Amino acid sequence: MKKRCFTYQSDPNLEERFMDDIVGLLDEHDVEESLKRRVCLTVSEAFTNALRHGNNSDPTRKITICLSINRNQISADITDQGTNGLRSIMKKSAPGPLSESGRGVDLMYHYAARTRFEETSQGGLRVILEFDRESQEVS
Amino acid sequence: MDIIIKDESNVCILNLRGRLDLASGTALKEEVNKLFAQDKVSIHFNLMEVEFINSSGLGALVSIMKEIRLRKGRLTLSNLASYVKEIFEITQLSHIFEIFETETEALNSHQPTLAG
Repeated sequence: MKKRCFTYQSDPNLEERFMDDIVGLLDEHDVEESLKRRVCLTVSEAFTNALRHGNNSDPTRKITICLSINRNQISADITDQGTNGLRSIMKKSAPGPLSESGRGVDLMYHYAARTRFEETSQGGLRVILEFDRESQEVS
Repeated sequence: MDIIIKDESNVCILNLRGRLDLASGTALKEEVNKLFAQDKVSIHFNLMEVEFINSSGLGALVSIMKEIRLRKGRLTLSNLASYVKEIFEITQLSHIFEIFETETEALNSHQPTLAG
């Protein structure tokens, strides 16, 4: 499985750049359009959570995105340099109908085949998103 | 994101093109605030050319809708691509927003009804 990692500052204006990096990598592996959309959306949600909640929009803190791709599976790993990220995910409640935030984790669970949250040894949050290429293509 | 604004007689139409995410959602709210400053509170978003939307983009739309409601105005959406529509359905925001298939249908709904 080929793995490539990208590291970004916690800057919302970098979202377009990281998306270009990810789309370029997915295109290199001929990932079909609907699966590409799912990967991009869920990684975007994890990136935004890392930026706003994990790293508190502190530009000195980094977000690392690693993508592993083979014929059968895509795995995305998004890690921040925050603290207590796992606890805040565990405490998360469903957003109200007029809430302006809180829908990102639900979208990750919906669009990824498997979603896991782990705490890094430094206390940051690591989000692991996995997608099955074959099952996505059949559906 | 590119935002093209057309000012019709009783409704402002915003054609959105590109990505609707955290950064562009903030820019969109700023554009709409300029319309509020001109007392324009009947607003339509044509999303035909929105190629990507995430929860931050949805949050910006919810924020704008709430502000419009406070100002006794109205927000409509139209021309959602299938994948955008799906995201509205998953998040149940399809029940919150007034969503039309076409811009024409949405604009017709903005027309004042004549009292009989």
